[in-house]
Amino acid sequence: MAGILLLAEHLNGAVRDITKEAIGAALSVKEQLGGPLVVAVIGENADAIANAVDLSGVDEIVTVKMQGDHFDPHIYEECALQLGMKYKPKLVLVGHTVNGMACASAVAARVGAGFASDVLALSADAGTVVATRGAYGNKVNLEVAFPGREIVVLALRGATYPIPEGAGSAKRSTFEVDLGEASKAMLHTGYIEAPPSNIDISKAEYILSVGRGIQEKDHLPRFEKLADRLGFTFGCSRPIVDSGWLPKPHQVGQSGKVASVCKVYIALGISGAVQHLYGMKHVDTIIAVNTDPEAPIFNVATYGVCMDLFELTKELETQFN
Amino acid sequence: MESRVIFWGINTHQLIMFYMIGTASMLIFLYGAYTHIAKYARGKSLVGPVEFTDRLTRALRDIFSHRTLRRRDNAAGFAHKGIFYGYLFGAIATTLYFIEIDILKPLTGITFVKGKFYLIMSLLLDLGHLALITGIIYMMVRRGLLRPKKLEYVRNYRGETELRPDAKTWKIEDWVFLTTLLLVGLGGFLQEACGLIVDQPAWAAWSPVGYLLAKTFTGLGMSVETAASIRAANWWMHGILALAFTAAIPWYKAKHVISAVGSLFMRDSRPLALLPPEPKDAEKAGISSIADFTWKDMLHLDACTKCGRCHEACPARTAGYPLSPRDFILDLREYNDDAQGCPTSGPPLVGGIIAPETLWACRTCGACQEICPVGIEHPSLIVRMRRHLVEQGTMDPLLRNTITVIGDTGNSFGENSRKRSQWTKALEFRVKDIREEPAETLWFVGDYASFDPRNQKVSQTVARLLKAAREDFALLHEGEKTAGNDVRRVGEEGLYEELVSHNIEQMDGAKPFKRIITTDPHSYNTIKNEYPSFGKVAPIEHYSSVLADLLGQGRLKVKKPLNKRVTFHDPCHLGRLNGGYDAPRKVLELIGCQLIEMPRNRDNSFCCGAGGGRIWIPDTPGTQKPSENRVHEAAALGGIDIFVTCCPKDLTMFEDARKTGGHEKDFVVQDLAELVAEAIELKSIKLQDLPPLADRIVKSVATQIADTVAAKLDAVLANRLASIPAASLAAPVAQLAAAPAAAALAPAAPGSASQAPPVQEAPKKEEAAPSAAPAAKANGADAAVTLPDTPFKPVSWDAISPVTPASFAGYQAPAKNGPRILVTIKHVAKLGDEYGFTSDGRDVRREFMEFSLNEWDDAALEEALRCIEKLGSGEVVAVTVGDADADASLYKVLAKGAHRAVRIWDDSLTNADPITIARALAGVAAAEAPDLIFSGVQSGDQAHGATGTALARILGLPHAAVVVGFDWDGKDAMHLVRELEGGLRHSFDLQAPAVVAIQTGINTPRFATMKMVKQAKQKPLVVVDGKDVQDGSGGYQVRRMYVPQQTKAEMLTGTPSEIAKFIANLIREKKGA
Repeated sequence: MAGILLLAEHLNGAVRDITKEAIGAALSVKEQLGGPLVVAVIGENADAIANAVDLSGVDEIVTVKMQGDHFDPHIYEECALQLGMKYKPKLVLVGHTVNGMACASAVAARVGAGFASDVLALSADAGTVVATRGAYGNKVNLEVAFPGREIVVLALRGATYPIPEGAGSAKRSTFEVDLGEASKAMLHTGYIEAPPSNIDISKAEYILSVGRGIQEKDHLPRFEKLADRLGFTFGCSRPIVDSGWLPKPHQVGQSGKVASVCKVYIALGISGAVQHLYGMKHVDTIIAVNTDPEAPIFNVATYGVCMDLFELTKELETQFN
Repeated sequence: MESRVIFWGINTHQLIMFYMIGTASMLIFLYGAYTHIAKYARGKSLVGPVEFTDRLTRALRDIFSHRTLRRRDNAAGFAHKGIFYGYLFGAIATTLYFIEIDILKPLTGITFVKGKFYLIMSLLLDLGHLALITGIIYMMVRRGLLRPKKLEYVRNYRGETELRPDAKTWKIEDWVFLTTLLLVGLGGFLQEACGLIVDQPAWAAWSPVGYLLAKTFTGLGMSVETAASIRAANWWMHGILALAFTAAIPWYKAKHVISAVGSLFMRDSRPLALLPPEPKDAEKAGISSIADFTWKDMLHLDACTKCGRCHEACPARTAGYPLSPRDFILDLREYNDDAQGCPTSGPPLVGGIIAPETLWACRTCGACQEICPVGIEHPSLIVRMRRHLVEQGTMDPLLRNTITVIGDTGNSFGENSRKRSQWTKALEFRVKDIREEPAETLWFVGDYASFDPRNQKVSQTVARLLKAAREDFALLHEGEKTAGNDVRRVGEEGLYEELVSHNIEQMDGAKPFKRIITTDPHSYNTIKNEYPSFGKVAPIEHYSSVLADLLGQGRLKVKKPLNKRVTFHDPCHLGRLNGGYDAPRKVLELIGCQLIEMPRNRDNSFCCGAGGGRIWIPDTPGTQKPSENRVHEAAALGGIDIFVTCCPKDLTMFEDARKTGGHEKDFVVQDLAELVAEAIELKSIKLQDLPPLADRIVKSVATQIADTVAAKLDAVLANRLASIPAASLAAPVAQLAAAPAAAALAPAAPGSASQAPPVQEAPKKEEAAPSAAPAAKANGADAAVTLPDTPFKPVSWDAISPVTPASFAGYQAPAKNGPRILVTIKHVAKLGDEYGFTSDGRDVRREFMEFSLNEWDDAALEEALRCIEKLGSGEVVAVTVGDADADASLYKVLAKGAHRAVRIWDDSLTNADPITIARALAGVAAAEAPDLIFSGVQSGDQAHGATGTALARILGLPHAAVVVGFDWDGKDAMHLVRELEGGLRHSFDLQAPAVVAIQTGINTPRFATMKMVKQAKQKPLVVVDGKDVQDGSGGYQVRRMYVPQQTKAEMLTGTPSEIAKFIANLIREKKGA
């Protein structure tokens, strides 16, 4: 029993980033676990997708022909089980995504395997996997182990592992799965496109927010333009919305939206009222600019700049011209 | 002898006719009065006795002095006084004549309205009627020409531009009332003048107005004959008009001549400061229909004269919110008059006649009832209607969230109670804990002063001032919960009662203290006025009066008089509700400030807008904040240095308003205590305070070392107890990595001295010693962590071992009586900024956690309830894995409508992984055989996002996760929609039974009031022994828990250009560009 089996995830004919990231994660433990890294692609156009996952370090790509490309957790589970029987991997990896949440723990329960989800770091030592995940709103990390487990299923957190560089030359193979009852559970009826979204703080990965420090409504367009140039979503603190300068969807904070998936947050002229911090203090990279060195925003920021924000903005505008 | 001929020139027929008209008039009047009394009789009776003498004295004083009418509209008050006394004299004279002519004279032949008595009465009547007519003419001029805005009935605050039909009738009745009364008065004088011309009595000058009028008429050439014929004709006109006026009194605006008297008598002495409780046995809360009005409420409604004083004073109306206290009362009155006190099938009272947003607009500042000349208690009605809204869950989501958070954590900030007194850590001295040592004074701090950073600074200043004054004070520390003043005013009476009993219990159990002080007027109000109905409470003082005393007694010495021009804002709960106007002013005077009053001061203070729970409700777009209105008022005074507040919420609101209102250059906003500190030149660290500081450091280090050693000892002991070390962690145990001092507490607060990650030593267990050792049960809260992990079953691809449902032999589900939906529930933990780990380093210690119902499960429950409601029959069963604390969340879901609850527990389930949890849930699910299972897609604490899916697999059911759309008719396939990343949605059908994992946002979960939660304790909650759940098929074993590297602001220095370059590079790197 050795190796890693990775279930690829794809949507509309394109492989998801999480699958490539999972390949990166798999490579970090491949040696210790000994054995091949096998990526399984399930779907109607599996071959096309297979090419996209042929990254350096992947040993084998197995395609499982299926009617339709849409995700069905029951089918993925059945495939994982039968592929597992064939490859006998020590580690089964999926993404901790909407799809992953629907099948990862099912595979583990079906097999009786070790399991952890939302894994943000993994290591292997002497053939044993150790996974790290967040707990209590990611305030603390939880290190979990699977002593004695010969099979471990992990769902990996997105945007956490590096995507390996360079194309691979993986062996290609196909696999037939007898779906049995698994194909009957769910009937795909279609996709509904997202309504033309104006702004959604909760889904924005990059946010530039302004607070009272911008002083006047007339200054707003300047910052909005800067956010646009940076490719950032334009957010703000409560007083800006209260003053009627920006509509509610822009507001970050307890009474606005929580920047739940934000990666980089720039706070300009925001002192950091509790209710604002609520919406953004968890963000990994926070850059705060304020004239008050005591401003609470610096308590949660990664980088702090204590200077006139207009001066700095001018320079940023030059940088992103 | 001097007297008046009443029936001049009236023959017997006419007299009979007059008496018939008079009787008819009286009957119409009496019938009107009767309908009102009958209406009141349909109202609910009052709870508690009504003290008679006090109310009577107060009512008489108010009525005869016209105190309530003169305020803020002296001219109208004066005019009304004229009308009132004129009318009163007229009524008295008429009554005297009635007694004389119709009772005494026919029976005994005695007459008494004559001679000197008559002359004086005649003079008073004359002057009274002159005052009446002058008053009415002023009122007409006021209505017709001066047209003060408060008399406008157009509801422009609601965007209406035209008078609504009923408002048109109000205008008519206003003019009919004034005109009739004027004609009655004028007719009286005409009658008198003509009488004087005809009779020419010697005492004519005793009726000066009539006399002058008579002179004028004769001067204009009126003959005695003309006068006599006018006298004859006008006798009838005047008489009939007066009788008609009397008959009409109960039927329109004029009714206030009676109802206002009743209303002023019935007015509570502390309305709003002391709100009425809910009757203990009430099935539903508050006012939702006419049946919930007391007769007193109805009487108040009938007293309104539409004077508009409340309309003018209301901060909500001023700020553009859809609430005018006057229109609120008028709408209620019309509704009640139509229904005559009986519940109707018409539009609902709350939600129909009175919109929820009207009720939520109120800040319970009391400005309306304060200025109401007839004693109407608007806020009490509003709060009682809010109680109904709260019970229905009709409230702003943020408010709802805040109420839930207060229920879970005891404060509106949702912080762990341990953080409540964290602000004291910046002090140079230790603040006593009243639960451990006695003190003179207990300081009840309140939420804003405890948790809000700006207000924490004020609290620190107050603490230093008290220390400087050698005041012996203590806090309840984490024993304190929010006082509940605003919770009660929001209408969550059950939660309020819970908070009160908690705080009273804490104070009862504390070491002795003599008085309570607080900086928070809201806490002050409720503890002073409302807490005594729940138990014995020490006297409470607001810090403004404490500071005034300390300064007055010289315990705080002013060293540097401030010489500042300041203005002062009276907090509603201190001033208007409790009369605390003078102490803060006294303090300002003592520290050498020149107080420039704002036009609206003292009882006319204009609310900051934060009261009545409004601080937890977002502002409606397009409205002006009341606080901005207020800072403009202050700025208009000119040359003000400081805007002084003495309320934590005021400080927050006005600090904001000063910035958003554009007055940053005009003045600063400061708390009273901060000014006192400046005036007495309070230094933050004094030499004499240093020894306690050193003490404190030593003590804190000692405690931390002791904690660490104790933890280690615990671990060692626990291991010894577990005679045979059971299956353990295969990997090497984590070593003690941090400095001892850091081990007990994880310092998450920035700037904290010890930055080392508080990794703890895991208890050393022998490696690879698989054995079926019985679980060692140690004592204490940490017991569970000493349990060894159950060894995993061997599994391989050649011998897979599907996880099976746990078997609970003793558990039997009741027979089905319709569709059954199972909902999985989790009682989730939240950590504050400070926490410590258990001795085995595998979890956070319990006392650092705040628990609540998992919000994903809340959405799942809501979906289940809606489904059962739609299907029309069946039951919702909630099931959880958790210890007894989890009952709190189960009672919450039972309160919301779940029919039964099941809780599975055994200490071996501590730290259990999602597969084990799913196995436990599956055990109950297998017994219940539900038609559908809902789960939340993930939990707020561990966020596994796996339990529902695993549960489905263990049960062999189809499943779906991250579901945002659900539609099921109970028979065919369910139509589901799940949400993919990036907003795309995937729709599909699934056959039931199945497990559907719900994403938040699919619905708005209903709200359960604290009262409903208490009642839910009647519903069945079964506890299942989960000792057999752990069978080695779990998903993971916890090795250790630790604090990841904290992000701390790294301050960037350099030129703006250098910094911009750095930021640009960082952004490009992060964006992967």
